[in-house]
Amino acid sequence: MGGQACVLYGAAEFSRDVDFAILADADNLRRLRSALRELQAEVIAVPAFTARHLCRGHAIHFRCFHPDAEGIRIDVMSRMRGVAAFEKLWKQRTTLILPGNTTVHVLSLPDLVVAKKTQRDKDWPMIRRLVEAHYFEHRRDPNRARVAFWLTELRTPELIVEVARQHERACRRLASSRRLLSFALSADLEGVNRELANEEAAERDEDRRYWSPLRKELETLRHSNRGK
Amino acid sequence: MVAIVRNLPIEPVTGIGHYVLMRFIVELVGEEWAEWYRLSPAQRWRETEKLWQAYLMLGGSLDPEPDSQSPFHDPEAPRSGAAHGRPGVRIVRRSRV
Repeated sequence: MGGQACVLYGAAEFSRDVDFAILADADNLRRLRSALRELQAEVIAVPAFTARHLCRGHAIHFRCFHPDAEGIRIDVMSRMRGVAAFEKLWKQRTTLILPGNTTVHVLSLPDLVVAKKTQRDKDWPMIRRLVEAHYFEHRRDPNRARVAFWLTELRTPELIVEVARQHERACRRLASSRRLLSFALSADLEGVNRELANEEAAERDEDRRYWSPLRKELETLRHSNRGK
Repeated sequence: MVAIVRNLPIEPVTGIGHYVLMRFIVELVGEEWAEWYRLSPAQRWRETEKLWQAYLMLGGSLDPEPDSQSPFHDPEAPRSGAAHGRPGVRIVRRSRV
């Protein structure tokens, strides 16, 4: 989740906030509150910082006022559409050592890709770049999991056709769960393109449906906040 | 599974195979993206840090870009000023186009 993870995995996003996926249990929230206090972070939009809102799927938005982090925005979520519960995300995470020996934990690439399947235009080119980067990095060293990931998530028609040609058996096995793979097997780029557009439209609709009740809750909260 | 990625290049930069792969990537995604993909995570991180420094030096805002497609978008939300209180980039001269 988040622009920083996208950069580390090979896409490029100039993200102006830092997104955290967190476990919303009492102990962890206590630790998070303490860290946010150190950063002098304040909630800057609805909803309020409560376990109930996090568990419901809302994001909590903060801005830091500590001189060393002044103005930095932090968004916190504990549930995302289509993505596994936190415990599983944590098990599957990627850990990176950054310059300066800072350790960061980010969502695994497959989880990040699923989390990015939203209603927003800007997320879809990002997914394409993320999976492309992974493919180019590991193309010479395919294994079953990687091939399945590429066949499930690649969004570059030429590459989908290439993987289908090189891993035909896996492609036939997965064709029932992704319609465009049938087109890829016959190198039908037009068909692959059409199915990619259908997939995107379906995911966007699904995301809008998922957020519809949550958006209403946010509207109600905003309305009641402005009335105060 | 937890993967540890250190400051290593993505692939050893040797051999004809590498050249062929690079040509293929460049043809598909263009020079700029191919170059970006070639960087290690640590190198991409450093490049992003440089961009951030320039952005903040120019007074870039830390507010998220208004995104009407985001479920969190609030058209009536107040927006804060530029980062570190400096004025943002102002256009002082422009063509008539």
